[in-house]
Amino acid sequence: MRVRIILALAALPLFAYGQESGHKDTVVEMNEVVVRGMLSDQTRQIKDFYVANKAATTEDILARMPEVTMVRRGSYGSEPLLRTYNSGQVSVLIDGMRIHGACTDKMDPATVYVEPQNLKGINIQTSGAAQVGSNVGGTVDLRLREPVCGCERPVSGALSSGYQSAAGYFYESGQLSFSKERWAIRTNATYRKAGDYRAGGGAVVANSRYEKMNAGLSAIYKLNESWNMKADFLYDDGYFIGYPALPMDVGYAAARIASLSVMKWKPESRWERMQYKVYGNTVYHLMDDTHRPNVAMHMDMPGRSTTVGTFGEAALRLGARRHLMLRGDVSATDLYASMTMYQPGQPDMYMLTWPDNRTIQSGIAATYTVRPDTQSSVVITTRIDQFTSLLTTQDARDQLTVLQEHPETSVNRLLKNLSVAYSRDLSGRVRAVATAAYAERMPTQSELYGFYLFNAFDNYDYIGRTDLKTENAYKGDMSLSYSTSDVLVSLAAFASRVNNYIMGLYEPTWGTMTIGALGVKRYANMGYGNMAGAEAAFVWKAPRGTQVVSTFRYNYGADDKRTPLPLINPFRNISSVRKKTGRWTTQLDAEMALRQDRVNVAAREVKTPDFFKANVRVAYATMYRLTAFTIEGGCENIFDAAYREHTDWGRVYRPGRNIYVQVNCSF
Amino acid sequence: MKNFNKITKTLTFALLATSIFGCKKSDNNVTTNPDPTIGYVKIASGYADGAATKVDVYAKDSAFTGYNKLYIALTDSVTNKYVENAEISLMPDMNMTTMSHSAPFENPASSQAQNMLFPCSATFIMSSMGGTWSLGVSVKNLANSKSGKAMLSLKVKDPAAARMFSFVSPLDSAKYFVGLVPGEKTIVGANDLELVVYRKVSMMSYPADSSLTISFEPTMPSMGHGSPNNVNPVHTANGHYKGKVNYTMTGTWKLAFVLSKGATVVDSTHYIDFTF
Repeated sequence: MRVRIILALAALPLFAYGQESGHKDTVVEMNEVVVRGMLSDQTRQIKDFYVANKAATTEDILARMPEVTMVRRGSYGSEPLLRTYNSGQVSVLIDGMRIHGACTDKMDPATVYVEPQNLKGINIQTSGAAQVGSNVGGTVDLRLREPVCGCERPVSGALSSGYQSAAGYFYESGQLSFSKERWAIRTNATYRKAGDYRAGGGAVVANSRYEKMNAGLSAIYKLNESWNMKADFLYDDGYFIGYPALPMDVGYAAARIASLSVMKWKPESRWERMQYKVYGNTVYHLMDDTHRPNVAMHMDMPGRSTTVGTFGEAALRLGARRHLMLRGDVSATDLYASMTMYQPGQPDMYMLTWPDNRTIQSGIAATYTVRPDTQSSVVITTRIDQFTSLLTTQDARDQLTVLQEHPETSVNRLLKNLSVAYSRDLSGRVRAVATAAYAERMPTQSELYGFYLFNAFDNYDYIGRTDLKTENAYKGDMSLSYSTSDVLVSLAAFASRVNNYIMGLYEPTWGTMTIGALGVKRYANMGYGNMAGAEAAFVWKAPRGTQVVSTFRYNYGADDKRTPLPLINPFRNISSVRKKTGRWTTQLDAEMALRQDRVNVAAREVKTPDFFKANVRVAYATMYRLTAFTIEGGCENIFDAAYREHTDWGRVYRPGRNIYVQVNCSF
Repeated sequence: MKNFNKITKTLTFALLATSIFGCKKSDNNVTTNPDPTIGYVKIASGYADGAATKVDVYAKDSAFTGYNKLYIALTDSVTNKYVENAEISLMPDMNMTTMSHSAPFENPASSQAQNMLFPCSATFIMSSMGGTWSLGVSVKNLANSKSGKAMLSLKVKDPAAARMFSFVSPLDSAKYFVGLVPGEKTIVGANDLELVVYRKVSMMSYPADSSLTISFEPTMPSMGHGSPNNVNPVHTANGHYKGKVNYTMTGTWKLAFVLSKGATVVDSTHYIDFTF
């Protein structure tokens, strides 16, 4: 159901002062959250609901979306998954750019590099086939904010400062923009520092603290009426990021992300929209076990990923009722991770955990939209990707000989994707969409080349293999929505079968490498997995400034022997009631999930109890001359519930009662 | 000033370019052969008198207890040129004042030198701590049919970690010597594992033995893990057994061996530590 391509939504600030002060680019507001699944219509109403408070991280925002599942290993750096799909099946992009984490333990999802104040929107594609990259599970694309030319005020900016009690957490951010007729520059910086947090019930979670710094610079130049040139640079440094669910933390992590684009926007032209971008990014990652007690053996685990790529996109109007979107992209990613173990009196022990490898990808995609009549539309998306993965050093090729006598070090795949969506207005208020899709994905580098990667979730060492068959999926989606000016109800259901499902298979004859590991699992194609689920949303603009938003989700997953798939969240509901009276806004949130008894025993998954959590938020907004001030405060997890979500690793409880206060000013 | 900088830069570049091309030219004119002993150390040296030949024994490393791959260089003491066609036979000797004994060895497989050197081996079964090692090298220069023998003294050290072991078989009460044949280069990955087995017949005779079945297990004692997909060494020729050992990381590996003859385990108590 990829009917809405990109919604260009106007800012809908929590406080209306953005408009009063005459500039659109307020700091911590997100302009759009585009979910290219069921929620595209009501995003406008529930965007603020996702941005629960202004110190929220991008992953906090994602966590509230019903189609997103966060795999949590620490207070920061949770990994976003979509619906029932695992991390190898989902693509996370930044402004259409590919970026690969440098950590073999997935401590660094791309979502940590984009701060909400730098986020223009989040495109989430769950159903159908992805236009931006071959995957079976969907795409999360974090769209970066752009500087705006020709603003009324040439200089604008904002400052935010906040404190949260549960982790003794400080948040500071600033943003400054310059706007001229032909060019504009936007800069922003965010600093976050959190201590070890206090979980519900009172226990302090050791090694849950973190400290990081993020900065962004973006410049735009108007080449002519319809063409713009834009340069973006993102800088992100994590100094210590604790992972209580893992045996070690991140000592230092650095990401540098740069891109240069030219863009055209001319609605009256036949080529309505065009974009061409070149980009490069590098992520460096260093794990740290020196803050842990009882470390059997100290080790260093550095990793690096480097990606360069380019893509071009164009939207072409073929007639009043026909549109074509084209995309072509090429990228190359180099990846390396190693481990050096130290035992006093012994020589250093060194191995490659990701033997040096390179993945070269090139793909073309087309989306054709046709509206046969005023009530219906058909969207056809196709994408073909050519992937080549190879080992780049002799050391890497040598090491693989341990696993296979004549290792096939180079892996080539041609991936094919196709989806068809049909959408129809059943009446003025009811719309139905049905989508059918076929999708394929490339195995991840861990699945291909991983060498004794310890997985703290099931306590097994994981080993890759280069002869995996291509995983593919047949997917179907249905959605119904009912909307009036005050009420929106939507319901989406999906089902899919993933063939050649890649999972770790226990190898009883292989010995472990990691001290304390239970055994070795090797990635293998496991027949198929069946997945299904549903999401629902209810939005009501009640009288007298009251707004009610409620979202629901349920996911189901099982393999071909009807064994539950791991990391499938149970039924969950998040509801909010917000009331606005003059300068005051009050909001009550309730989050709850049912217990999850369907667990994967082979993955040593345990049952998760149900939970209920309530938050209260209050905000006061005022203006002094041209400066807007807001003061926010609230209490999250009022009842100090000791709870965890099913996809949290290590049975670590989430933060308990958390009182926060936040001051923002924008000028 | 700007111009001056430009000129200096251009000049420097031009100079650099000529010097590079100049080097190339002179390199092409050099015709001397590279020294075949580069990369080796000389562990013994002497004269085979009747053959008028200087005998130099080279190895990758100084001589140690265990299987030593040796490279003999013969030089005609008149012409001072390498002798490349000769019959060579070895006779290691350990003199322990009250008694003496020999050691297992392998004569050069061919009378034709390979790149001026004659590859052969000696498996020193003890270090020079116990007495005096000498290596007898009998030479017959096939170019002039002159023969002679050199007695070369050499020092044999115990390596930091044993590279050989011996055991007495309960079946025939004979003493067996098992040595690790060092590979060219050790990698994190699959490596050839080559062992050599000799049986002691007398103080002076240690023939190669092909009768054993060898199994082994590599482990990392400091971490307590092993490695998958190893291949047990099987006999190929001349007492050499070849298999595969997989090292999953650098460090110290312990290779524990079980040696059998038929259905009987003749030794399972020995291991070799290997560090890279």
